[in-house]
Amino acid sequence: MPASYIDEAKKQFKTDLVFKAEDVPPLRCDPPAAELEVTLHGLMQMNGYIIKSLEEIAGRGANAVTYRAGKKFGHEVAKYFEKKDDVEDALRELSYILHGQYSFEPWKPGDRDNYIVEDESGTFIYLVFHDCIVRQTLRRIGEEQGGPFCQTLCGYVVGAVEEITGKRGKLEIIHTGPNACLKKLILK
Amino acid sequence: MIEIKVDEDACVGCGLCVKDCPMEVLQLQNGVSYPAHPENCMGCLSCHEICPAQALEHKGAVPSRRMYISMKVCNMLRKVI
Repeated sequence: MPASYIDEAKKQFKTDLVFKAEDVPPLRCDPPAAELEVTLHGLMQMNGYIIKSLEEIAGRGANAVTYRAGKKFGHEVAKYFEKKDDVEDALRELSYILHGQYSFEPWKPGDRDNYIVEDESGTFIYLVFHDCIVRQTLRRIGEEQGGPFCQTLCGYVVGAVEEITGKRGKLEIIHTGPNACLKKLILK
Repeated sequence: MIEIKVDEDACVGCGLCVKDCPMEVLQLQNGVSYPAHPENCMGCLSCHEICPAQALEHKGAVPSRRMYISMKVCNMLRKVI
């Protein structure tokens, strides 16, 4: 294709639209959320296949990559939030940050009195994740839960908790389900 | 607390729900599933999904959003069903 063709095409591409700074519309979701379904599902599928391909090529190394990516994201998102020592307060703060993407709550078996358990290995707390965009994505493309994409969420939560509390953390997947997942947050 | 009901007539006693539950909420008793520790249920609904006889019912579980379901498919199914 000759270079002149591109110049000609550029010359032909004329519109009367002039964008001015004062014309920027007020903040609103446009088009309406219901019309974004196709976009959302397209993104879900794209993400899902990226992770699937990564797993095929990198094998178990995919978990480390996705965990690292999630952790960076978590640190980035939580760095402007108030720092807290109290774990429960930090989790409340985190729940606020993650609202819309994930919804979670502390959980304990019926025979336990407290959510936070302290032993020689550190402090841990069980978290039940109800809404989760990772689960939505995996179910959209028919992939198994608990793989590399779930590690993104683990990294995300750990990164955000570390940023808020200043403590090193780890999130273990205990169980994955269609409606909720159980995870164990360990703080050192 | 989540209330779990087992349809004893429908349950085939395969034990898949017992095996799948991480909190050992369900147990097999006289060849059918039985909610032995419903206080430990976190509402993941794994047992609900794995049950081949659809014999389980959960009341009081927090329903998570299902954004993965295509609205187009739902609308088509509504026309058929």
